[in-house]
Amino acid sequence: MAEFAEPIARLIDELKRLPGVGHKSAQRLAFHILRSTPEDAARLASAIAEVKARITFCSVCHNLTDIEHDPCAYCVNPARDRRLLCVVEEPHNVIAIERTGEFHGLYHVLHGVLSPLRGIGPDELRIRSLLERLRSLDITEVILATNPTTEGEATANYIGRLLKPIGVRVTRLALGLPVGGDLEYADEVTLHKALAYRREL
Amino acid sequence: MEITSVTVDGFRNLAGTFCVAPGLNVLWGDNGQGKTNWLEAIYLLATTKSFRTGRLQEVIAFGRPAAHLRAEVVRRSTPVTLDLHLEANRKTLFVNGKRAVVGEYLGQLTVFAYGREALDVICGEPGERRRFIDRGILTLKPTYVQTLADYNRVLKQKNALLRAAVESSDRRCWLDSLEDWNVQLVALGTQLHVERAQYATWLNESLDWRMFNAEQITVRYVSALGSDLPATPEAVRTALTEQLARRREAELAVGHALVGPHRDDLAILMDGRDVARFGSAGQQRSALLVLTLGQLALYRARCAEPPVLLLDDLDAELDTGRIAALLEYLQGQAQVVVTTTKPGLVQGPARRQALRAGRFIEAADSARDEPDKPFSGMEMPPCDMPRSWPPS
Ligand SMILES: [Zn+2]
Repeated sequence: MAEFAEPIARLIDELKRLPGVGHKSAQRLAFHILRSTPEDAARLASAIAEVKARITFCSVCHNLTDIEHDPCAYCVNPARDRRLLCVVEEPHNVIAIERTGEFHGLYHVLHGVLSPLRGIGPDELRIRSLLERLRSLDITEVILATNPTTEGEATANYIGRLLKPIGVRVTRLALGLPVGGDLEYADEVTLHKALAYRREL
Repeated sequence: MEITSVTVDGFRNLAGTFCVAPGLNVLWGDNGQGKTNWLEAIYLLATTKSFRTGRLQEVIAFGRPAAHLRAEVVRRSTPVTLDLHLEANRKTLFVNGKRAVVGEYLGQLTVFAYGREALDVICGEPGERRRFIDRGILTLKPTYVQTLADYNRVLKQKNALLRAAVESSDRRCWLDSLEDWNVQLVALGTQLHVERAQYATWLNESLDWRMFNAEQITVRYVSALGSDLPATPEAVRTALTEQLARRREAELAVGHALVGPHRDDLAILMDGRDVARFGSAGQQRSALLVLTLGQLALYRARCAEPPVLLLDDLDAELDTGRIAALLEYLQGQAQVVVTTTKPGLVQGPARRQALRAGRFIEAADSARDEPDKPFSGMEMPPCDMPRSWPPS
């Protein structure tokens, strides 16, 4: 079988390891990079290197942040409402909620959901630090914005039960989100409504 | 609704296009020529499942990377194109060339099937009968597919949790979150139970057993929660919650879920006796046919359009008198495709097509009191899928 020269074959192999990239897409991307100017290629390479070198998780809310800005921009912004806390599964869910323009409080990123099938129990999620934050902050409402999947529901239910004795108001995003989906795929209007009509848990 | 054509590529030993007539279609040929495969293709296009195998990669032709199936359907006088693409374990669905989730896809084409494989509904495990009810509910309410998928997901997660709790040293931590799965098991399980019990009641009222049987056929939903439990959401929710609490220790001991509608069954009775245990082979086949026609009648009563009915290996399953009565009964009720080894078996107006090695070799339309004539469909070039595939 004919093969590409070693460097291009290696690039294709690396691109193929990215999620959602098959062999054909990897080949197309590799040839695109090959045709681009040395400056463009260098910019892409340094962007990849930099993301690893400079991005870390916020030590307070576990969202993504620049290594020089820990705690993150949301955590230190004095304009954010410090009585509201929105709990999400993954950092990209923060972006989805922000896009609605409806929420101005603080975030907490769990980095996953309960899933016994994948061996993920409560201890694998950032739940203990959530409880610590609630103890030290003056939060009046926690919005559980996990995805509308069975795993997201179980996680919201679990956290809701933990928070009950603390006496804080706990709400869940309203229905209307596409069931089984990810907040990422909900359009802004739907997510806006889900936030506005959130229900008590 | 009506299928106008089915085209397949890389599916078992089939090739080309099956042009389907509005009324009765007869596929004939020797055994092993692909008659049942065409029915399987239609069933797969309608339900996204095969009636033969749970492992869909088995239907891809040997040496081919993928299978592609397309149905042209007329639904409420509007043409709809359904595409199903199979590659390894992946199944992709399209409605009018647009990617569709299974909830949107189901309901575009409603097909009921009767044949040897379906006898498992009578004689097989309770799971076969639960699937039979679930398929029936899906024909009336395609969104039920989400409830089913969520319930099965919760059940899998709960079983994984119970296993982890049994095996791991960190037992307490796992059990901490058991309740959060049970809450959903109750909510979804209640929906499943109520839908199934309702469907069983409706089906029972739709069974027209007098046509074929001396014996009365009845069905009843049998819940592991108890036979006298009313199928109301409140009653089921309360009973499920109670049972879960009572059997918690037992579930922890065996390491899997013991409570929920995944333990339920459908009783199929012949003059009040279990047809699987007391019925002869012939009585079991008749009972299955009565159930299938009951599903069809129920669908007709609740949805305006006639569905499609597939009858596999007709002469092996029924005698000539019953075949004639059945086809008479089905006129105007459904678009019908039957397979047989004997082309002369079916009398009256029909489109008859002969198969050899998966291909159509001969076709004729016959009307009442007219000699058979070839129909123009055979002269059409086969539909060229690769040209319009994949949809952009
Ligand atoms: Zn932060």
